[in-house]
Amino acid sequence: MSTKPFVVLKDVAKRWNGQLGVENISLEIEEGSFVALLGPSGCGKSTSLRLLAGLEIPDEGKVFIDGADVTTSAASDRNLSMVFQSYALFPHLSVAENVIFGLKVRRVPKVERNEKMQRALKITGLEGLEGRKPGELSGGQRQRVALARAIVAGQRLCLMDEPLSNLDAKLRSSVRKDIKKLQRDLGITVVYVTHDQTEAMSMADKVVLMKDGRIQQIGSPNELYSNPENTFVAEFIGAPAMALMDSYLIDGIKNGNKIGIRAENITIVPEGKGRLSCSVTEAEFLGSETLIGLEHEGTTGLNVLQPGLSIVPSGQRIDITFDDQDLHIFNSAGDRINGQ
Amino acid sequence: MSKLSHYVESAGAILLAIIWISPLLFAFWAAFHSTSDAVNFNITSAWTLDNFRTAWEGAPWLKYFLNTFLLVTIVLIGQFFFTTLAGFAFAKLEFPGKNFVFILVLMQLFILPEVLIVENYAMVSRLGLFDSLFGVGMPYMASAFGIFLMRQSFKSVPIELHEAARIEGCGLLGILWRVYVPLAKPTYLAYALVSVSTHWNNFLWPLIVTNSPDTRPLTVGLSIFGAPENGVDISIISAATMMSVAPLLIAFLVFQRQFVQAFLRAGIK
Repeated sequence: MSTKPFVVLKDVAKRWNGQLGVENISLEIEEGSFVALLGPSGCGKSTSLRLLAGLEIPDEGKVFIDGADVTTSAASDRNLSMVFQSYALFPHLSVAENVIFGLKVRRVPKVERNEKMQRALKITGLEGLEGRKPGELSGGQRQRVALARAIVAGQRLCLMDEPLSNLDAKLRSSVRKDIKKLQRDLGITVVYVTHDQTEAMSMADKVVLMKDGRIQQIGSPNELYSNPENTFVAEFIGAPAMALMDSYLIDGIKNGNKIGIRAENITIVPEGKGRLSCSVTEAEFLGSETLIGLEHEGTTGLNVLQPGLSIVPSGQRIDITFDDQDLHIFNSAGDRINGQ
Repeated sequence: MSKLSHYVESAGAILLAIIWISPLLFAFWAAFHSTSDAVNFNITSAWTLDNFRTAWEGAPWLKYFLNTFLLVTIVLIGQFFFTTLAGFAFAKLEFPGKNFVFILVLMQLFILPEVLIVENYAMVSRLGLFDSLFGVGMPYMASAFGIFLMRQSFKSVPIELHEAARIEGCGLLGILWRVYVPLAKPTYLAYALVSVSTHWNNFLWPLIVTNSPDTRPLTVGLSIFGAPENGVDISIISAATMMSVAPLLIAFLVFQRQFVQAFLRAGIK
C-alpha cells in the first residue's frame, strides 16, 4: 500500500520548564490502522497522544492529520475523538446525553442525532441504559459509554488513553477484543496508549515503544518481539522478557557486546553437555508450562520454559544450551548489530 | 459522670435555643393578641387577627414585598453572572497577575460592608442609580464570597471533563455552561440561600439609598412603620414583623431538607 499516511508527527518536541516531556517524535500512521504507544510510566506516551489531540501544543515540530497541518489547531478542529483513562463522562448527564454531547455542541439536527445515538448504543451494547446516569453504571458499562461517545460522531481518528486500566483482568481481555473488532468494523484509525504490553501486542498493527520521551522502536508486534532494536526493547517486550548475557560467556562475540536470548530458545540438557551451567532461583507454574528462573554470573533475566508442571527446587544446577542463530547481539551502547 | 455532663450539655443547648427563639415566639404571640393583653402578658386572652388588618392597611406592604422580591432576584442574578465568570477565570484560566488579583478579591472579605457605605453611596449617585432597586443591589453583585465559592467549586471539576468537552468541540464559554455550571449546582443552591436571606434582611444600606415607597424594601418599610413618631403599638408592629419574615421562614421550613443537603454537598466537594 502506497497511500499517504493519515497522521504524521514530525520531529515533535514538548518540554516543561526545561524538563523533558517528549523529544524528536516522528511517527507516521496509516489510515485504518491500530497503533499502540507503549512504554513504562513517564515515558511520554500520554504526552504524545495529547499533542496529537491538541490538548498540548508542541514546542517544536509539526503535526499533520489527513494532510492538513494541525500543529496549532484547537482540539475541537482536529476531527478526532478520544477515550480517557477515567472515561471523563459528564456525571450530570444521562448516558444518552453523554453520547450525543458532541453532536449537540456541533448543532447536529435532532433527528440525525438520535439516529446516530441509537446506532452507537447498539454497537456498544448499551441499549436500555439511555436514561441512567454514569454514577449508576458499572465500570465496564461506563467504559462502553465512553466508547459510544467516541464513535458516535463518526470521526475517522480515535485516540485512547489507557482505556482499560480501570477494568478488572477478566473484563479487560473481553473489552480488548471488542475494541479491536470495533476498530476493524468501522475502519477507523486508533492511536492507543498503554503501559501493558499484552494489550499493545494483541491489538495493534503497529507498536511504538517509548522510553524517556523518545521513541525506541516502531514496528509490528512481531518485529518488536523477534528483532528488538536495542536492549531496552529486548527487556521490555515479551513475558518473560529477553535475557541478556555478557559477551565473555560465549565464544566469538566481541568484547563489551551484549547477547540476548529468549526463554523459548533455551533448552535444558544433561549435566556437562550445556553451554552454560546455572543454578535455579525459582520455578513459577503458569498452567500450561513452568517458568524456571536461572542465575549465572554475567546474565540478567535468564529463564527457561518447561512444558506442564515441572517444579525444580531452587539451588539445583541446570545445564542449558541454545543455537547461535537465536542469539540477538547488541553493541555496548545497547543497539542491535546482528541480523536486521 | 459522663451521663451527668450529657444532661447538663443538653439542658444548656435547650436553654440557649429557648433564649434564641423567645423574641420570635413573643412577637408571634403578640401579633395575635390585643395590645393590652400582649403588654400585660395575659396568657389566657383571646386570639385576634385585628392587628394584621390594621398593620396591612397602615403601609403599602404589597409594594414593599414586591420591591424586596425584585431586589433579591436582581442581586442573585447579578451575583450568579459575575461570580460564575470571575470564579471560572480564577479557577481555570491563566492570566498575568492572577494571584495578585485574587488576593485583592479575598481582602474584600475582610472589609465590613458598612465601612463602604459612604463610598458606595457616592458611586451609586454618580451612576444616577440613587433611589432605584438596581442601585440598592449593585454594590453586592461582584461578591467576593461568591467568587471564592465558585472558584473552589470549579477547581474541583476533574480536568478530564474539561478536556473531553474541548475535544467534543466546546468553546471556553460552552464548557463553562455545559460542564462547570451544571456540576456546581449544589454550590449555586447553597449560595443562593445565603444571598437571598442576607439581602431579604439587609437594612442599613437600603435605608440610606432609597427614599420613596416605590423603591423601599420590606425592612425599611417595616422600620418606618414601627417608628416611634407613629406611636408604638407592640401588637401591630409584631403583626407587621410576622408578615415580613413569613415568606422566608415558610420557604426555609418547607425546603429545609434540600437546603441542608445542598450545603453538605457543596461543602464536601
